[in-house]
Amino acid sequence: MEEKKKKSTKRLQSARELNRIVAEYYLECNAAKASGKPVGWMPPMNGVIEVFYAMDLQPVFPENWSPVCAAFGLTPDNFQRTDALGYSRDLCGYLRNITGYVYGPMHGEGIPLGGLPEPDLILSPGGGCIPVQKIFHILERRFPEAKVFRADLPQVAVEDIQPHHLRYALKEMERLIAFLEGATGRTLNPDRLHAAVMVSDQACALWDEIMSYRRCIPTPLSAAEIGIMFVMVTRQGTQIAVDFLTQVRDEVRQRAEHGIGVIEDEKLRLFWDNIPLWYNMGVFNYFEKMGGVVVAETYSAAWSLRLDVDHPLEALALKSLMSYPLVSCVSLKKRKEMVLKACREYAIDGAILHRNKSCVPITLGQMHIKQALEEELGVPSVIIDADHMDDQNFSLAQFETRVDAFMEMLLSRKSASTGHAR
Amino acid sequence: MPAAVVEPFAEILRDVPGYLRSLTGRSRPIIGYFCTHTPIELIHAAGFLPVRIFGGTGEVDLAYTLAPTFVCPPMLRSLEAALGGAYAFLTGIVQGYTCDVACGMVNIWQEAFPGIMCHTLPLPYNDCVEGRDFLRAALTELIAKLERLGGHLTSEGLARSLDVYAAIRHSLLDLYRMRYADLLPLAADDFYDIIHAAFIVAPEEYLTMLHELKGSLEEVSPPSTEGVPVLVAGSIIEDSSVFRILESVGARVVADDLCTGFRPFHTPEGEGPEPIERLMDRYLRRLPCPSRCRAEERLPMILELIRFSKAQGVVFLPQKFCTPHLADEPVLRRALAQEGIRSLVVELEATGIHAGQLTTRLQSFVEMLKES
Repeated sequence: MEEKKKKSTKRLQSARELNRIVAEYYLECNAAKASGKPVGWMPPMNGVIEVFYAMDLQPVFPENWSPVCAAFGLTPDNFQRTDALGYSRDLCGYLRNITGYVYGPMHGEGIPLGGLPEPDLILSPGGGCIPVQKIFHILERRFPEAKVFRADLPQVAVEDIQPHHLRYALKEMERLIAFLEGATGRTLNPDRLHAAVMVSDQACALWDEIMSYRRCIPTPLSAAEIGIMFVMVTRQGTQIAVDFLTQVRDEVRQRAEHGIGVIEDEKLRLFWDNIPLWYNMGVFNYFEKMGGVVVAETYSAAWSLRLDVDHPLEALALKSLMSYPLVSCVSLKKRKEMVLKACREYAIDGAILHRNKSCVPITLGQMHIKQALEEELGVPSVIIDADHMDDQNFSLAQFETRVDAFMEMLLSRKSASTGHAR
Repeated sequence: MPAAVVEPFAEILRDVPGYLRSLTGRSRPIIGYFCTHTPIELIHAAGFLPVRIFGGTGEVDLAYTLAPTFVCPPMLRSLEAALGGAYAFLTGIVQGYTCDVACGMVNIWQEAFPGIMCHTLPLPYNDCVEGRDFLRAALTELIAKLERLGGHLTSEGLARSLDVYAAIRHSLLDLYRMRYADLLPLAADDFYDIIHAAFIVAPEEYLTMLHELKGSLEEVSPPSTEGVPVLVAGSIIEDSSVFRILESVGARVVADDLCTGFRPFHTPEGEGPEPIERLMDRYLRRLPCPSRCRAEERLPMILELIRFSKAQGVVFLPQKFCTPHLADEPVLRRALAQEGIRSLVVELEATGIHAGQLTTRLQSFVEMLKES
């Protein structure tokens, strides 16, 4: 059973710095609450975070807390509490985890990093996936004292965004700001928003640059280190993200310039589709024994959205519109295009498609992606049945059997085409 | 056997794809939709026949080549039917945004059937001035797409379509009221066959069928008032044998909160100076699907239906893996319990209804209601 839960092996010095960044973020969240700074709970991947930091409000991401719970082994207890409340085990693991967490002891012994501070504000999304919307309905019930903003965002494929979608998203940003100003008594300073958008865009540029070094053969950075995206989730709009990513960029660049790979003898370059197994990031290292490295993944693209810094509010509205569709079935055509592009650019030999019981929006459409990879690029792929939160829906033995056979096949193919893969 | 007065409806439901295929050449081009948040009046007014896509019952096989096992059975079955050629006559699909699966499936259909036009209509979650402005723009975009398919929309035409669908909703709500008052002489499965046909048959024809039905109801024996009155809640129920089983174990289905039942007919028409405003008003004020609201927004209507219909218990029949319903049920059940109303949840599986298992669970629940 314990084998199902394994941390990944990290090679970057700077990635080790991440533990400090994570701990400091949660300390900051709890300190904010203690000092009377308004704390707002919100979904990730939208343009609200920059507004929060610009207004000196504390953003908290319950969805992001779930990987922390998975890493610290809190998930089974949280799931159990959610089961006892009558929720189905077929619901998304994020929903089951956070529900159990907020209805259990949120702080104190056994709760890592001080836990999450109770919200003063809740930004409840109309838009994004259904589980996230339902998570926030649950949070509204659990924290009836919090002031709730009922957000609304058009659910539209990225390639279909029209001016009226953007106009409405912009109106929503303006309504949000009015809500925050009314609820907290603070005013949004346009200069501070501009500054937050500037650093947010810098972080995106750094993110893109870091990802670009992964094109090097051998790759200096694998998905085992993808935890670095923590700053893209929680720290966009702050210098903290920029500083950390600069450090990562410098190290990755240096490794790339010196030809230092994740492993000594990189034979196969792999793509990972869908959310990682948060309770077992070690699976990313599993491929290494056969010379495989996961050099690209779907999630990376979500953080590559550059912002028009001259029009901060419009930029944030567009970011809010695009982020979720880019990685979900709202924009299947675009997602397929992005996966194919990544596989071309990163010289991918094979793709691992995580059929994720906890995430229908990303899983739906995977079969068409699989087909396109094969037909358009000749890139084979394998489907792994698992769940990003619930290890009960993951069999390590099945994973290993499937991956071993897949890797064998890839090695044979490569050997046949180049004569020296093995 | 359905009651004779229901036979015209039941006959259509016995082979829906066959019925729709038979319309080829003598009907408007057909546009499919999955969820009832799709503005069918507009599609109809543009010169198309809006038809709700159902998958029927049976095994799922081909659909698993394009979709995972852990999505709701109706969506899998619909895809299965389409891959088997049952929906080859479709000109397009228009889908008012509801849940992740319906949205994803529209895109999967688009990939699988590139010849048809697929459009997902984003709908505002909030009813406010800005939301209505946005909806108007989104509808304008849809109209342009329908016109590219050869459709043509006029304000007068939209007004006529709004009227005919409003007449259907009023008429069906009349039947519901008769049911609440024990005046409708129909078994539940017959009643839901009538409702189900509303999603398939051209509205003008359906309205005529409803008028004929109402005219014949007096000839039918007075309704049975036996059985424990229950309300059934959930999403799509295609297989009316569920209702038959419920009534065979001593329950009487007197009301529902289903998206193949009461929910899409609530708020029969909207208000506004222009037809497009009437349309928007109706879709923004209708009783929403759980994918578009909080459980607390559904609860008052469920309680009101219970009060009207004198239901003594609630049977939740969600489709397996249906997140919007599964996430709201614990909240609704707790709230019902606080009102002293007992409830039962039975998930409907991908493989269809297991009559034996369902009978046992429903029987125990009905017995419990009888004793309380």
